[in-house]
Amino acid sequence: MSVSGGLVLTSGLLVPDRSVLHAAKEEFEGPLPDIDIGGIIRPPGALPEKEFRARCVSCGACVNACHVMKYDAIAVSGLKDLTNFGTPYIKDMRDFPCALCMECPPLCPTGALKPLPKEKVSMGTALIDFSLCFGWNGDVCLSCSKACPLGATVFDFYNGEWGNQPYINEGCVGCGLCVKYCPIGGSAIKVVTKKKYDSLKGSYKAGFKSLLSMKSEERYNIVYGQNLPKIMERGRLVEREYR
Amino acid sequence: MFGILVLFLLQFVNVKVLVGGLTGSAALWSLNLIDVFAYLESFSASRVFTKEAFFAVVAVSALYLIFGRAFCGWVCPMDFLYEMVDKAKKRGASAFEKVSAKIPPGTGYVIAAFLLFVSWLLGVPFFSNYVSHLTNFFRAVTGVVSLGLGLPVDRDVVIYSVSVILFLLLFEFFFPRLWCRALCPVGKVYGLFNKVSLLRLGFVEGRQCGECMLCDQTCYMKVKIAMHVDKSSLRDTNCIYCGRCAEGCETKGRLIKFKLWR
Repeated sequence: MSVSGGLVLTSGLLVPDRSVLHAAKEEFEGPLPDIDIGGIIRPPGALPEKEFRARCVSCGACVNACHVMKYDAIAVSGLKDLTNFGTPYIKDMRDFPCALCMECPPLCPTGALKPLPKEKVSMGTALIDFSLCFGWNGDVCLSCSKACPLGATVFDFYNGEWGNQPYINEGCVGCGLCVKYCPIGGSAIKVVTKKKYDSLKGSYKAGFKSLLSMKSEERYNIVYGQNLPKIMERGRLVEREYR
Repeated sequence: MFGILVLFLLQFVNVKVLVGGLTGSAALWSLNLIDVFAYLESFSASRVFTKEAFFAVVAVSALYLIFGRAFCGWVCPMDFLYEMVDKAKKRGASAFEKVSAKIPPGTGYVIAAFLLFVSWLLGVPFFSNYVSHLTNFFRAVTGVVSLGLGLPVDRDVVIYSVSVILFLLLFEFFFPRLWCRALCPVGKVYGLFNKVSLLRLGFVEGRQCGECMLCDQTCYMKVKIAMHVDKSSLRDTNCIYCGRCAEGCETKGRLIKFKLWR
């Protein structure tokens, strides 16, 4: 997420930059900085990318429906990605995650969004950054699993001496509620597209398994030597109003 | 004529009457509506029949089978903005206006067909996504509201949409109503409904026309009204039912009338 401070002059209007309003959030680098999202995260119930793109006429019904529902998760894609210009996507999961209210799919006049039960949505998959997560570094936190609208079907816990280590399995639909409610500065969870997840599933699982089977001294060095200083540096998110 | 635009603006204060924009929307949180040209584009881009979109377009078609091209004169935000531009500028024909008068109203059908072909080729509803005045108008309004409230929005989208609208207004300044009369594919498609719509321009039989041609002069869509006064009704694809001709007529509305049904 880019950081730009101060007031930004936008089409003649002076608008306070969001990074000023939530200064505490933007100072931190996001979790898993080497992994990119792998495309664009669509509103819930979206058809496969190509079919979605062919149907969407960018009328803004889903964007405005999301605003009416007061979640404001859906934004309109900008000029950076010209082929997807004007189409809806979930922009900022750290502040405005999708709450899976499933009100937008029935309102889509083109059928680009299909009504689904929320368990079958596939917006993406959340990945936990094990080097930032409290639960993987000697603490009990559970914020992500409490925020999750699907709860027990998505979270696996590997309780041990190093905490209640949470793991998000493939049942995750990628709504991003856990991203918002992670108490780590800048969040310790990142949502990537399903396609991206499929390509890095192997290495992600291997990293998670190697942490579990690691010897105590090794793990101690990683947790106290690298991870905890990083976490302490980030501090906690400033409490923000729930919209 | 602001009625429908105000209903759309209510969505920013969380009223669920009309949600979306004029390209596509949901009325009362249940009835989906999609602009006819946007539907054609979406259909040609996806090359698949979609049930939801079809029902949405049937609802809109039913409305305009009754009211013809009244969309342009009574709903479209550009008509309102163009009217303000027209009022702001001085009267008098410029060189540009002479050029624009030469462009035939049929141009819009060629543009519409070309855009549908582009959509089919790219697999993207090209006009509705990038160029459309309806999409960009509502995108600009939504964007400005979102910026004001500090909600997530890409600033370049707002800048782009506002510039498209400003460009169209500038275009209107030099070529008055050329966009509505000859170019806009959305209006052209609604114009086809004029051929069969229940609402149409009619003339009261037995009343004498003075042939003052005031109606032709007031009509900014350049419909030839006086020529057809001997017939009972006029079905021109460019008539947007603004009512200027009826007001402008010598007889003050006693000759030219809107006819609904009969």
